[in-house]
Amino acid sequence: MAEGEAAAPATTRRLVLRGARDALALPAWVVGFALVGVGSLAQDVGHPLGAAMLSTLLIWAGPAQVVFYGSLAAGVALPLIAAAICLSSIRFLPMTIALMPLLRRPGQGLLAQIAIAHYIAVTVWVESLRRLPRMPAEERLPYYLGFANACLVTTTALTGVGWFLSGTLPAPLASGLLFITPVYFTLALAAGARTAVDVVAIVLGFALAPAFGHLVGRDFDLLLTGLVGGTIAYLVGRARRRRGA
Amino acid sequence: MSGLEAIVGAGLAPYLALILFGFLPSEVWRVLGVVLSRGLDENSEILVFVRAVATTLLAAVVAKLLVFPTGALALVPLAARLGAVAFGLAAFWLTRRSLVLGVLAGEVFLIAAATIALDGS
Repeated sequence: MAEGEAAAPATTRRLVLRGARDALALPAWVVGFALVGVGSLAQDVGHPLGAAMLSTLLIWAGPAQVVFYGSLAAGVALPLIAAAICLSSIRFLPMTIALMPLLRRPGQGLLAQIAIAHYIAVTVWVESLRRLPRMPAEERLPYYLGFANACLVTTTALTGVGWFLSGTLPAPLASGLLFITPVYFTLALAAGARTAVDVVAIVLGFALAPAFGHLVGRDFDLLLTGLVGGTIAYLVGRARRRRGA
Repeated sequence: MSGLEAIVGAGLAPYLALILFGFLPSEVWRVLGVVLSRGLDENSEILVFVRAVATTLLAAVVAKLLVFPTGALALVPLAARLGAVAFGLAAFWLTRRSLVLGVLAGEVFLIAAATIALDGS
């Protein structure tokens, strides 16, 4: 597909549309259906439809949104909710640092870069890291914006659907919606793994997270898992490169 | 009138809470990521390390969702949750790496297991 189109230079419009089309082939629906439950949670705590949908547009992080509405339902104080969300979204720091160098173009201001980074969430990140490095640098941003906006708009709409569905979903179906995120992320990580670093990082992430969850509690377990597992994965990769060189 | 009110709400409180205590504490990491990544080349060594940390973090998020689930997913036994992921992975490899079929297979397994588990209780 990409080879066939390589003859004529791809226009911005075509790249945006191609990104949107690739997103609507599966990823946009995955993240969209995964957040149906967030709409239901918002309705449960008495928040209006507009706020539920805005939470997807603004926060754009399923786990943080679940924490937000779940904590409100449990009567947790707002500053404590903010702290919990801050901890749950820490993954965006390494994810943003890893992706932005692929999307940065000469002449982009800081605000434009922050707007670009706002779309970063797991689905967009995994898929972008898989697709963008193979593309010419100047084609990446329009493709990314088409892809990410399709994901964000689909998910915002499905968050609204979830708001209306609150309390009507049978339990097996509700558990199926919650299961979309882990099963899709597992497969997307497996599909995106190219190097020994990726494989070691994935295996250690899976193995260490439950262990650290028990050892240090559920606040700092993700951070610790990322740093310890990521460092080991990096060192394994470097040792292999040294031996190969 | 009441229809519109159901959509936008009666007051600003839900929106203010969302922005101050939901959006800002989460967005701060993306903004910090933009600032810290300035001047980094896409082929730089530090990015290999950062990508390894991010990948580990993602796998950790998945493991947490599977081992310590919330809501309706917590009603499904751990063995069924892990079995459904394994089934999805097997379908993914057997269908020559089709994400769609892998996700569908995992979902079918989990919803079937959830139906059986919830019926029996």
